[in-house]
Amino acid sequence: MSYTLRGRIESRLAAMLAPLAAAGVASLAVDDWWPIELAALMLAVGLALDATLYHRVLAYQPGWLAVPLGALELVLVMAAARATDLHSPLGGALVLFVLSWLWTQVVGHAALPLLRDSYAEDGGELARGGAAAAAGAAAVLLAALSVAWVTAPPTVRLAAGVHQGPLVLDHEQELVGEPGAVVRGGIVIRADGVVVRDVAVVGGDHGIDVDLSENVVLDGVRVSGFAMDGIHARRSTVEIRGCTIRSPGGYTQGVDISFAAHLHMSVVEDCTITGGQEGIVTHSSTVVIQDNIVRRTALRGITMTEMSMGHIEDNTVLDALGVGIFCGDFSMCEADGNTVVGTRADRGSGDLTRAGVGLEAHYGAELTVGDNDVHGNPVPLAAFADASIRGG
Amino acid sequence: MASSTPRPRPTEPDVAIVGAGLAALTAYAALRSGGLETGQVRVFGLDPDPAAAWRVRAGAIRQTHMRSESDGHCLPRTFPGLAVRDARTQRSLDPLIASVVDRYRPTVETFLAHVASVRRRTGWDESFTRRRVARVAATQGGFSVDDDGPFRRVLVATGHPGLHIPPELAGDPRVVHAYEPHEYASRVAVVGAGMAAATEWLNALAAGATVVSVRRREPVRLPLNLPRPMFSKRGLAAFHRSPPDERAALLKRFSAPSYPPGRAWDAPLAAANGEFRVGATPDDAKDAEQVICATGFERGYGHDHVLAGLVKEHGLETVNGWIVLDEDGAVPRLSSSGRTLALAGIHAQWAFPAADTLAGMRYIGHRFLRRCRTR
Repeated sequence: MSYTLRGRIESRLAAMLAPLAAAGVASLAVDDWWPIELAALMLAVGLALDATLYHRVLAYQPGWLAVPLGALELVLVMAAARATDLHSPLGGALVLFVLSWLWTQVVGHAALPLLRDSYAEDGGELARGGAAAAAGAAAVLLAALSVAWVTAPPTVRLAAGVHQGPLVLDHEQELVGEPGAVVRGGIVIRADGVVVRDVAVVGGDHGIDVDLSENVVLDGVRVSGFAMDGIHARRSTVEIRGCTIRSPGGYTQGVDISFAAHLHMSVVEDCTITGGQEGIVTHSSTVVIQDNIVRRTALRGITMTEMSMGHIEDNTVLDALGVGIFCGDFSMCEADGNTVVGTRADRGSGDLTRAGVGLEAHYGAELTVGDNDVHGNPVPLAAFADASIRGG
Repeated sequence: MASSTPRPRPTEPDVAIVGAGLAALTAYAALRSGGLETGQVRVFGLDPDPAAAWRVRAGAIRQTHMRSESDGHCLPRTFPGLAVRDARTQRSLDPLIASVVDRYRPTVETFLAHVASVRRRTGWDESFTRRRVARVAATQGGFSVDDDGPFRRVLVATGHPGLHIPPELAGDPRVVHAYEPHEYASRVAVVGAGMAAATEWLNALAAGATVVSVRRREPVRLPLNLPRPMFSKRGLAAFHRSPPDERAALLKRFSAPSYPPGRAWDAPLAAANGEFRVGATPDDAKDAEQVICATGFERGYGHDHVLAGLVKEHGLETVNGWIVLDEDGAVPRLSSSGRTLALAGIHAQWAFPAADTLAGMRYIGHRFLRRCRTR
């Protein structure tokens, strides 16, 4: 087939109508926008290639070329999905792409030539059908945008000043703090999809208490003055990014993520945590802990325990008492790229496992260590009670 | 004037096709697919079998496969093409796979069966009138075809006007045209460098002859008659924009003989050793017992009495033997909102350089149907 540029574009729009509509329906079915976003991305990448590459290079396009061109488009669409932070599951994205591609081949090679007698000799142009295809594609995307706008969770802006808590967030929403916005008495989250951004929290039993809630995002929160945990997550999945936590004295912890082994992975990233018994601790959860700074903790800097699994990467643990990074109780931990400096022996405890250990595996845990910078610690690396350390 | 003419009832013949070959059948199938009844179209020709002339030529050169591909058929839609039909008949994916990589060539047998099927399914015989048309002329309200008419729309699809024999070989008793039935002598000269010539080289070698290929230029190797973009708007746009003298030059260039690349053509010649050689002038054929002229057809409207009459009677514009046509194959001076005279087949090359191929015949058929619907 020798396409004209207009023919390529009109044929692609016509062929993508059904996949766009199907992706829209799929988005509603899975209650997530990635299918329609991915379909729109496929269309955008295809149109861009049509205009900039295919038309110039391919005066004639034999049938077999659809396969390598499809592979090229797959790579570019996946790269674009990654670049645009489109969180689509790989398997689902591949299925959507392959089904859409197969459909477009059927439409391009059979349906359009059947519907329009002069399809081939017109170079793929569809006359009025082309305008209809463009309008159809625009209508599907517009409908998706409309639904997205109508169903988007509300954004609540918290004005500067002190707001008396506890603030209870029991439905999906985005809470954005203006500069100077402070919640006194803590925030309680009891709904999926809640986003809290740029809010300072002072006081409360827990600064931010998340329970039975998934896909919660805590971005840029500043927490202090709490009685127990700065951020306390139970049976939940959370993404904690860019937080600042100052633990007061007493038995307090910076971040505690527990009892979420049956859920997706949680993330603690780019946080600075100072003081308290433990900086970051996980129990029975799957967590990635990376690029955090934890300092001056009284029990352990970072703890992954009670059959937790996860990565501890590129963190800096400074001046911890007893243990810097701890992998305990049949947990499986991978520690790489961390810097652990100045861990002090807890002589008062009389406990050998707290003799200023940089990286420690304990009680059946499996700790895999990579290239960590561990210095200024009385014991750089140690395993106790049937625990094991590999690598290093 | 045309507006004062009462429009004929739908069952009265309103459209005439002059000529009854493959171009006529392809156009007829397009008209029928577009909603015209058999009673609205009359087809004038000498033989009701639309493949009659083509069959003789293909048989003469022992052609086994078409040069055209899956969409080289007489139906108005390119899909499903002959590859799909072959796959269905053979219960095999091989024709489809071959088609995807542009290696599918239907057999002559498949093609002829397809022609017979289209003839039957379209009701061609109901529209057919056996007649050698002597004259087509513009009249009030349309065109007369001899004494019939008026027809508001006429498609002249009279085909190739005759076999071409180079003047220097005319009258030579050894000469036979490739498209005339013939056997092979033991020393054969084949004049020409196109598809028929290439086929005859292999035929004569297979028959045990020594072969001299007499040709003025090295053959062009092309899968189809023309570069593929010339079969669609993509390549046609520039062609249609070109001024008349440039367009005539392009058509002359496109008419250079060619045949497809591939081992099936090259291997027998390579294996022939001294049995096959190349010459450049008719003198190279002087030792041959038989001279096969694979030199195609006479060119130009002047060799076709119907077209020559139209040009003379109505002063139609011509360039180097071609009648100047609109992009859709219509003759501008004789086509208006009320009537259309269009050409199909080889004489429509001014509108579509590959008009003598099945794809070109379909192109003209579609455009003629559009005229029938909208003007």
